[in-house]
Amino acid sequence: MTSRQVVIGYRLGLHARVSAGLVQLSGKFRSRVLLSRSDETGDIKADADSILSILLLAAGYGTTLEVRVEGDDEDEALDAICSYLERS
Amino acid sequence: MTVVERKLKGIAASPGIAFGHAVTAWDPELVTLNYSLKPAEVGPQLENFHRSVKKSRTQLEKMQTKLAQSRAGDSTSLIDAHLLILQDGVFIDHVLERIKDDRINAEWAIQSVSGSIFEAYDRVHDEYLRDRRGDLEDVVRRLLFNLRSYQRPTFRSLRYHTILVGRTILPSTLIELKSPRLVGVVTETGSPLSHSAILARSMELPAVMGVSDVLPGLISGELIIVDGDEGVVIRAPSDETLEQYRERAKEEKKSRRRLARIVRAPCVTKDRISILLGANINFKDEVEAVVASECEAIGLYRTEFDFFRDGKPLDEDKLVADYSYVLQQARSLPVNLRTIDIGMRDGVDGMSPELGVRGLRFSLENRSLFRRQLRAIYRASPHGYARILLPFVSTLDELSAAKHIINDVRKRLTEQGIEFDETVPVGAMIETPAAALTCDLMASEVDFFCLGTNDLIQYCLAVDRTDRSSLHLYNPFHPGVLRTLKQVHDLVATTGKTIVVCGEIAADPPSAAVLLGMGFTALSVNVGAYSKIKKMIRSFALSDLRELADDLLKMRSRGRIEKKVRRMVAEQIDV
Repeated sequence: MTSRQVVIGYRLGLHARVSAGLVQLSGKFRSRVLLSRSDETGDIKADADSILSILLLAAGYGTTLEVRVEGDDEDEALDAICSYLERS
Repeated sequence: MTVVERKLKGIAASPGIAFGHAVTAWDPELVTLNYSLKPAEVGPQLENFHRSVKKSRTQLEKMQTKLAQSRAGDSTSLIDAHLLILQDGVFIDHVLERIKDDRINAEWAIQSVSGSIFEAYDRVHDEYLRDRRGDLEDVVRRLLFNLRSYQRPTFRSLRYHTILVGRTILPSTLIELKSPRLVGVVTETGSPLSHSAILARSMELPAVMGVSDVLPGLISGELIIVDGDEGVVIRAPSDETLEQYRERAKEEKKSRRRLARIVRAPCVTKDRISILLGANINFKDEVEAVVASECEAIGLYRTEFDFFRDGKPLDEDKLVADYSYVLQQARSLPVNLRTIDIGMRDGVDGMSPELGVRGLRFSLENRSLFRRQLRAIYRASPHGYARILLPFVSTLDELSAAKHIINDVRKRLTEQGIEFDETVPVGAMIETPAAALTCDLMASEVDFFCLGTNDLIQYCLAVDRTDRSSLHLYNPFHPGVLRTLKQVHDLVATTGKTIVVCGEIAADPPSAAVLLGMGFTALSVNVGAYSKIKKMIRSFALSDLRELADDLLKMRSRGRIEKKVRRMVAEQIDV
């Protein structure tokens, strides 16, 4: 398992289009990708395979998320997902 | 959990008392029933759901391909989101679980699972989350809609009496769900003057409208009471309340039976003046009952409901079959077939926008539909006494244009060797102030008139009858309204043509008494109001009503006018 903190780089946050892209991206890897958000809004977890749960994170621009990836291509997946979320 | 009785105040939209279990309709076009499954039904139900998911996916993919080819290629990602929801375990797996484990139908499972997701969204106070909710809502609607092709909701199959509760209930929904199991209607929007309310009255369905916040927290299946007389909805009624209402319902039934006896009596005033009492209908199927109640005319057949009953305009042959049936059933009674009064409000409900392109204006802009309906009326005309009635006329030019089309339709039919009644009269609805002021000028183009008071009053008073906030201003006893009505009567009298009043005020005994006093001698009402209006007619001498009307026309305050009329009518008749 590997994990990293990322800051959302999309000006409109994780809206439907970006979330859809995330689900599609995580689908390219065999590893399981989990996102979590822990701040004043509470502790919310999401599965990167589920667009509904991602949308529920309500992650706006600048929100910090923790990305956790587990599987045989986890390093590769973590890099790809983090740079997607940071929009770097 | 103890449930406390709750009284919710609304507006009485259709009289009567109904007891039943709530069926909620969040989407006006999509009413779904919740029910438990027998073990053997679980499999087919899961299959229905899978098929609906598949069908939804195909639809979305098609849409995506189309979008990708167009310049809006960017929006395909939105459809991606919808497609992803369709494969989202949080949603789909839970729905499947609910169907299997709780043994409930797919619609119920979809609504309950999406309901809890919506709830989660609503807990996050974030402005921009709202459009995500919209995405799921969209998918839910699509799924439910696609399920419909496998199982259309039918109240007939229910074992209990149901009350339809929704934000808005469209007239078409009421038509679709019409069944002995549907006993009442409650809506958050709407008013007694909306088309749904008119329809509810003609279906004799107690209805309360304009009840704010009835939906939140209402569970499908909950027992509620609809009091369409007082405009009250009662949730979780106590035994005591239930008992009270049962008594009242019994009383009402008795008084209705008393009134029913009146139906056979001649429709004359105390001083032996005959008044023509006709009936308004919305569906062809009503004609039989209406004729049995010994009415003397179908003063208003609102043809748009049947015209669009399949969700799209019927073809000419079907229309001919409809109209032939109505004319035959009506025997030789005159039937005023009002051509479709629809407008272009998003084309959703097929009903009129209050202003703008509707009624005859719509027909003149959609000539092929108009011609189709006219041809059907003429082709059916040998079966009885058809009369064409043109709605929402506001200028003489429109009438001339319509007459031109009518003549052309007749010419074509003659050329084709199709038999029809050459003498079908053509009439105009007087329902705009412009028409009210110029009906004498229109007389040369028409054979008869109908007075549509619902619209005339709303335009006269500048009150939108669908807008709850100004509804208290809608009052037929306003001196301006009385003068307008009187003027219409007097102008039409100079032309020698007949006029029948077919708005809702003709069905309200005090207002109808005033109409008679002004000189109107023909009224057409919903069949539900038939006996009470006949009773009113038989209770008064026309000479007294004339005097009353003369007095009222001199008064200044609509409050006083109304009080005076109501008192006089109440003294004379004890219904």
